[in-house]
Amino acid sequence: MDNEQATIWLSQFIGKNLRIHASDGRVFGGQMKCTDKDRNIILALAHEYRAPSPESIRQTVEETGYPSASVAWSSRYVGLVVVPGQHITKIEFEESVLPGQKSMVTL
Amino acid sequence: MADASSSRRAVSAQGHQASLVSDNAGPSHAQESAPAIDAPAHANLPLRRSRHAVGGVQAKMHDITEKFTRASLEVGQLVKDEYFTLFESIGAIEIMDPKMDSGFLQPGETLEDDYDTLTPLLPEELIGIMDQLLCYEMAWHTGYPLSQTLFTSVHIVKLVWTEATVLGPQFYRGEIPEHRRPGPLLEVLRAYCLAVIKGCDFVIAKITGRDYFEEEDFCTHIYNRVLLVSVPIDVFLRELDAAIEVIEDPESEINDGVRKAISARLALRKDYLRALDLDLPLNQTSYCWPPILQGIATLKNTHQLGQSVPGAFSSKMQRRLASTVPPRPIVELDFKDALQKLQHIAADCEEATRFIALPQDPLEYQSFLWHFASRSPPPLAYARAYLSTLLFHPDNLNTSVSLPLSDVKTLVFPASPVLDSMNWTFSPPRSPLLPKPPRLQFAMLMDEFVERTGQPFLDLWVALGQNRCRLRRMLTHVITAWDLLQTDAALIDTDISSAAEELGIGEQVMEFSLSTWVYHKKLWMIEKVVLLGFEQDIYLPDEFAGMYLFLSLIATRRKELLKRVEAHYLVQANLFLTSRKLREAQEIDDAGLYLDSLLAEAEGTASLALALARFYILLLYLGLLPLPKRPFGTEALRYELRMKPFLSLSPPEAPAFEDFRTHTQPYGSPSSPSTAFFEAVGKADSELWAEVDGHVKAAKAAFAEYKKMGVVAAKAEGVEKAWGKEVQSALASCVALGVAVAGVKDMVVKKGMDGGKEGWGMKVEVPEAGTGKRYAEGWVVVKTHKE
Repeated sequence: MDNEQATIWLSQFIGKNLRIHASDGRVFGGQMKCTDKDRNIILALAHEYRAPSPESIRQTVEETGYPSASVAWSSRYVGLVVVPGQHITKIEFEESVLPGQKSMVTL
Repeated sequence: MADASSSRRAVSAQGHQASLVSDNAGPSHAQESAPAIDAPAHANLPLRRSRHAVGGVQAKMHDITEKFTRASLEVGQLVKDEYFTLFESIGAIEIMDPKMDSGFLQPGETLEDDYDTLTPLLPEELIGIMDQLLCYEMAWHTGYPLSQTLFTSVHIVKLVWTEATVLGPQFYRGEIPEHRRPGPLLEVLRAYCLAVIKGCDFVIAKITGRDYFEEEDFCTHIYNRVLLVSVPIDVFLRELDAAIEVIEDPESEINDGVRKAISARLALRKDYLRALDLDLPLNQTSYCWPPILQGIATLKNTHQLGQSVPGAFSSKMQRRLASTVPPRPIVELDFKDALQKLQHIAADCEEATRFIALPQDPLEYQSFLWHFASRSPPPLAYARAYLSTLLFHPDNLNTSVSLPLSDVKTLVFPASPVLDSMNWTFSPPRSPLLPKPPRLQFAMLMDEFVERTGQPFLDLWVALGQNRCRLRRMLTHVITAWDLLQTDAALIDTDISSAAEELGIGEQVMEFSLSTWVYHKKLWMIEKVVLLGFEQDIYLPDEFAGMYLFLSLIATRRKELLKRVEAHYLVQANLFLTSRKLREAQEIDDAGLYLDSLLAEAEGTASLALALARFYILLLYLGLLPLPKRPFGTEALRYELRMKPFLSLSPPEAPAFEDFRTHTQPYGSPSSPSTAFFEAVGKADSELWAEVDGHVKAAKAAFAEYKKMGVVAAKAEGVEKAWGKEVQSALASCVALGVAVAGVKDMVVKKGMDGGKEGWGMKVEVPEAGTGKRYAEGWVVVKTHKE
């Protein structure tokens, strides 16, 4: 992919919702505002999601007695964040389309 | 203000969004991305797919990691939203940076705090936690966010976290086995914590209901939690009562001293919560603060009985709060200081409750507001909000006579036909083409004026309710608004005059009455702005002379304006006496008292300011004041800066720079004064010294007169003590100035100018603001020392 293509391709995600997985397991969901050569990504209106700790899962299972008890992820609003490229393990694009609507983004 | 309340709304809107996302997207996502995440994988437990259907819209996830990584940009190239600026990007929190990212965990660190809120407590530990909570609560009152203060308490957080159940918020969630149920002491702590939380809710509601500045005065963020807003106060009072009963149960094995200490804390909390209650009737407010002031002493004496429980407070709590700021340390406040703050709040609020008993007079209100803002230490945001809630309480504002109107009446329309209540009984002629009767015109013109003046009038009061620094800045804006008001008032004045002519009572109505009133208020505000500038150390010592000269100029203008009003009073009184209208003559007489008081005060201000100006000019020429190096500044620019708030006013208040310079530097440049100066300064009986002494004497006489006329004439009955102190300190400043002038004069006359500064062996010290070294903060009088 040459630079021009890359720029066009990346530009389609501006203002779109991305989910970025950080190297410590947290996930950040928010609107992409900006990115650069080092894959640093700025998300606006971002929320942080964190998987429950093994400890709390174990505790819930013990307390409820169901091995398949649900344990909520914890989430909080963090606003404007920049996720440094070297800490990104996965980038997901969250596309919301109505049934039958065509996608506007080339993946 | 408006911004603040909208920002609060924004926060809650975001909170709403947050819950939406976590309900729908969070769990479903958890399922899909599980393999990428370490933590649940370690747990080795199956994760279930959440079956939330997202209404209509299907969110599809696409992994774009690989292509995103391949898309290569050049060095320095950014792909960005065109409206997203570099400036904004600076505000972004960097994830995985331990200093910025409050969610970052050190290796091996867990998110959850390991303190169990169901751990049984010793009675001593209960005291420890209660006292610590009070410390954090007071730290919050001084402006720190909850995340650095009360929300570091594991107990508090647990209570605001859980959904309220039938039993109310608990330290645990869901069902727990019987043996784990909290013991009596934990129930006591729970009652205490609940009352603390409800107290915060009341405080936030009171402060956000008034004009305040988010994060400057106070931090109202509640991080998307609900501070038991819908639970009525009696629930909390009942909980506290129950807790007191538990503690005072003789069966319990608690040592008596500790028992009393806990009991006192619960009782104080109860009093405090009652005092904070938003719906407390006005007539009860003055009784609710004294018990708190009395309760503080017991707390102070029993604090050492407590035992701290370090685990019960943790900065880790911040990680779970919606937080758009980097992690910040817990704010530690000593228990002693916390009690002092509590006492400070209670004392200020108690003082504020005296507002209710004031006579219904806007000038009394104005004095009260001014002196309340002058209290030292300055009232905290809550106390200020408390007073302005009382001030803007409907019972206080909905008076039969409009407040601005009664202010106008006191100064320019005592016993005036313009405000005769008869005027409001006329009906307009049926045909709009016919001229309206002049008395009806009076009424309509006054109504028009009162309506026009409402906003600027309220703005002035709002400004007076702020802290001192902001008061100074806000007043400069209020002055501009009053300047516009003055122009409008002049138009109404001409209409009033022509209506009066029509009636043939031209001599009973002072020319430009309304604009005189507006102008007088405006000049008063300018004086306050300059004095507040001195109080807040805005000016440097070498600028003192100029600023005091300006102050004296303004005060003199105000004095002359008042003289005009006085002349009108005399004419009026004579008219009434000759026509045997004794009641009206008496009214004029009464108004004359207030006018005389104003005159004395204006005279004192003008003279003392002039004396200080002359003295500082002298000191500057003698080289006794520090002259800072200002390589990039010019005098003209500095003058423009100081006068900026007043430059646009009409009539112009700030003299032209040339004019200003001739008056502040009559003997040429301060570094090389002309010989005339040396001749004059060397003689004890020269006009130079005589002038300074004369102004000091005049100021002293005027302030003494002002003091003698007393607090009733000055319309400051409600703040008699503070008023007396203010006048006394102005008098003391006059005396101190006299002493300083004499000291310098003796030195210069005795030792002559030949030896120069070094030969006199004298040092001049400019006392700093706020250190108690000045008699009056706005009147800076130097101290002279022999070396």
